[in-house]
Amino acid sequence: MFATDTDLKDLLGKVARGDQAALRAIYVRQSTRLYGIAMTLLRDRTLASDVLQAAFLKIWERAHLFDPERTSAETWLLGIVRHVALEAARQRGREAQADDLPAGDTATDQRAMEALLTSAAGRKMLEGLDRLDGRAREAVVLGYVHGLSHGELAARLNVAQATGRSLVRRTLLALREGLA
Amino acid sequence: MSGSIPVIPTDLPADPASREAMAGEYVLGTLDARTAARVAAVLLGDHGWREAVAAWEERLAPLAALARTEAPPANVWDRIEERIAPAEAPRLKRERRWTWVWRLWALAASLGVMAVIGYLVLSRDDAPRLMTVLVSDRNSPGVLAEVDRRGNLRLTLVPAALGRQLQAPSGKSLQVWTLVQGQQAPANAGVLPYEPGKLVVIPASRVSAVAGMLIQITVEPDGGSPTGRPTGPVLLIGRLTMAAPQS
Repeated sequence: MFATDTDLKDLLGKVARGDQAALRAIYVRQSTRLYGIAMTLLRDRTLASDVLQAAFLKIWERAHLFDPERTSAETWLLGIVRHVALEAARQRGREAQADDLPAGDTATDQRAMEALLTSAAGRKMLEGLDRLDGRAREAVVLGYVHGLSHGELAARLNVAQATGRSLVRRTLLALREGLA
Repeated sequence: MSGSIPVIPTDLPADPASREAMAGEYVLGTLDARTAARVAAVLLGDHGWREAVAAWEERLAPLAALARTEAPPANVWDRIEERIAPAEAPRLKRERRWTWVWRLWALAASLGVMAVIGYLVLSRDDAPRLMTVLVSDRNSPGVLAEVDRRGNLRLTLVPAALGRQLQAPSGKSLQVWTLVQGQQAPANAGVLPYEPGKLVVIPASRVSAVAGMLIQITVEPDGGSPTGRPTGPVLLIGRLTMAAPQS
């Protein structure tokens, strides 16, 4: 997807100069991905719509801070959307609608993980996740993708909150080693 | 790495291993609101924390592919556009005698404010050629006006100074006008969005910015002045000046 990211990079440069059509072009290309990310984190259409709107206003205001030397355009956009979405999740108190969450280990079963096969970075991530045990893998995916807090993760994994949190911390560091 | 960074009072972990783990939790999104807010605050001033968080963002980004994709509701883009795009003012309906007076306080735009904001702006690569701070009749700054290299006029709210949103009174609109020195009549540069975001960009095609040009924002009937001239009270005003010695 190199062409896409080059396009996005150029479009962000135009947005930094106040080009509204460029912002619209980014929206057309990325809103389905970014709204999906917000929806998966929040499981609430109204809130996810508000998040997407707030995120695009931030992109409009901060495009001049995007530095293609440091990160890709896709990752930069993702960071803004996740930041706004997590803020929103914390503000509403994360009353997660548990019935909308993937049941059992379906968040991390083989089918769910196939989405990672489409990029080199994703395949590397999949290898890293494969080195973790099932519970650790679930903690990472439920946290990052489905927006569960430490408390919710602990409840889901049937452990005390402190235990859940230390599992998360150990897992992150193991994943870092695995991806290095 | 962070040797020269000023010490920020915080109870966040200082040792690299704990910092690394907490930066990871921050990006993962599992931290409670209070801890996440403390991390967000320390990021503003601490290079080491910023680097750690950036590395985790890069590292974990591929996981986002696991979220489903879904099209947003159709009105989301409209809501975004409403907040960034100045509207065309209505066409001139009838000529009316121009009684509008440019205020003297335009010239008194606070130099102190200019210095502070000017510093922030000029430390960027895309430093503007022309700029000013639009101030109220009490000389309090409301909007930073900059002309970028392409001649677009960028209006950025100064929220800390203004203390409130730049929003038109109910049933009214805020309209932007420009007046080049020596000309008699101000030119319409567009109507601000009803609830503007922090930044509104008026394209170069609608303003021909030159040094010394006055910019003002007036309160007008809903949708903009029906006469093509300012009719309502002046909310903010300022005069464009050269931003800095050109490189």
